Amino acid sequence: MQVYLPIAEMSVDALLLVGIGFGVGWLSGLFGVGGGFLLTPLLILIGIPSPVAVASGANQTLGASVSGLIAQWRRGNVDAKMGAVLLVGGFLGSGAGVQLFGLLRRIGQVDLAVSLFYVVVLGTVGALMVMESVRAILRRGKPGHRNRLHEHLWMHGLPLKMRFRKSRLYISVIPPALVGFGVGVLSAIMGVGGGFMLVPAMIYLLGMPTSVVIGTSLFQVVFVAANVTLLQATQLGTVDLLLTLLLLLGGVAGAQFGAAMGTRLRGEETRALLGLLVLAVAGSLLWGLLRTPDNLFSSRPAL
Amino acid sequence: MIARLLLLLLALLPVAAPAQEAPLVASLSQSEVEVTTGFTGASVMIFGATEAPIGPGGDEILVVVRGPTRPVVVRRKVRALGVLWVNGPSARFARVPGFYAIAGTRPAWQLLPEEERQRNGLGLDALPLESTGARSPQFRAALLGLETASGRWLEYAAPVEIDGSRLFHVQLPLPATVPTGNYQVEVLLVRSRRIVARQGLEFRVDRVGIADRIATVAQAEPLVYGIACVLLAAAAGWLGSVVFRRG
Repeated sequence: MQVYLPIAEMSVDALLLVGIGFGVGWLSGLFGVGGGFLLTPLLILIGIPSPVAVASGANQTLGASVSGLIAQWRRGNVDAKMGAVLLVGGFLGSGAGVQLFGLLRRIGQVDLAVSLFYVVVLGTVGALMVMESVRAILRRGKPGHRNRLHEHLWMHGLPLKMRFRKSRLYISVIPPALVGFGVGVLSAIMGVGGGFMLVPAMIYLLGMPTSVVIGTSLFQVVFVAANVTLLQATQLGTVDLLLTLLLLLGGVAGAQFGAAMGTRLRGEETRALLGLLVLAVAGSLLWGLLRTPDNLFSSRPAL
Repeated sequence: MIARLLLLLLALLPVAAPAQEAPLVASLSQSEVEVTTGFTGASVMIFGATEAPIGPGGDEILVVVRGPTRPVVVRRKVRALGVLWVNGPSARFARVPGFYAIAGTRPAWQLLPEEERQRNGLGLDALPLESTGARSPQFRAALLGLETASGRWLEYAAPVEIDGSRLFHVQLPLPATVPTGNYQVEVLLVRSRRIVARQGLEFRVDRVGIADRIATVAQAEPLVYGIACVLLAAAAGWLGSVVFRRG
């Protein structure tokens, strides 16, 4: 069933979009991530223009993360104070990111920038995840090892300290605001929520306890994705509502099935699989940049 | 459908013929193409009749359709750092027709002197495409190739068919990616290497229904649209999780 997307100005198979939404939702439920990092490249692959794919991907991430946030909030797993500090950085970062995105679009390098960001960020994160989980699988069964809660680094000497009761932390607000800013920029340029970067940053950089990490990252993801959607819609006009809703239709169903299956997998194996998946996406995008294109020329309506 | 149109034409003919003034009468199968959410392309039929017989040695028909123009940037990829392919030099074409189709009983270059053909913009190579930026003629050729591949530019893709010797019709396909706006149709009657009559027609391509409402609101009220996108996505996500929770 073909459907005409009014903002992308093209006709796409609606079932394909619902299917992509379902697949990505299933994986995101399985691994507990937003799935935006898979969705945006897939949309670009089926021919949706990058600006529309990024903007609608952010909008879809918002919808896909809302139910998770509500569930985590009910269980009291959201550190709202930490979330607010992250969010201040996130709003500034996504604002700067959308400006940068507009500039890249004017000079015709959006495709390159989106692909490069994906290759670098996903390549790094994927490699780290695979390495970490393989080490954990190998270490399994060897007793006497215990991870430190978090390390005391130079950043703990920074000013503007604040007490985060839920996270049991007394740290400067500068590192979380910077983390929020960085993820905000990535969110605007890559159309992702950034959960896959935020979660490790919160655990390893800020030293937050795992119990509040997922809820607090969802808090940040929902509001930053909302900000990106709003900015992309008002400044660039690239959010396709019909595309978003079709993706969400499959996505929310897939997420429930994935989550049900995820409880049966062991943590290390899950993380290793997710890491391989992230690496595969990075690899295919890198291949797209390296191989000689079929047609050296491309055309776009001028702005 | 063709039979019905021809009947319609026959009904028109007695009006046109006795006057002995119009060597050419043409019309369109529709004056509006509606782009709905289910739009996958459409086709428009241009049909008409001539006073004198059409065919080799007699009159010839040329049909040109031009869509609304828009500025287009053509970019060429170059190698950066020896490995990466990135967008390099670009040329900006200020007025590129979003749709262009030419059809005829014979190609225009066989029917008209070259100068006449260029002046009337009959054929892809005769399109007036002025550009700024990169100078190379490769960019123009690339634009021609890309637009032809997308189905938005057609050169003698569909033949002008003749029924009897005075009725003609041609069916032109509009792909799903055609821009919205006013389309100008020109039907030319050529006799002994001269254009002896021409008739201009017009049709519109318009978005209707949900597709139209989304695009209109997004353009006219971007803030309202953005807020609606945020709220609708959040509502859809929440609703979905309620519906699908535990099977």
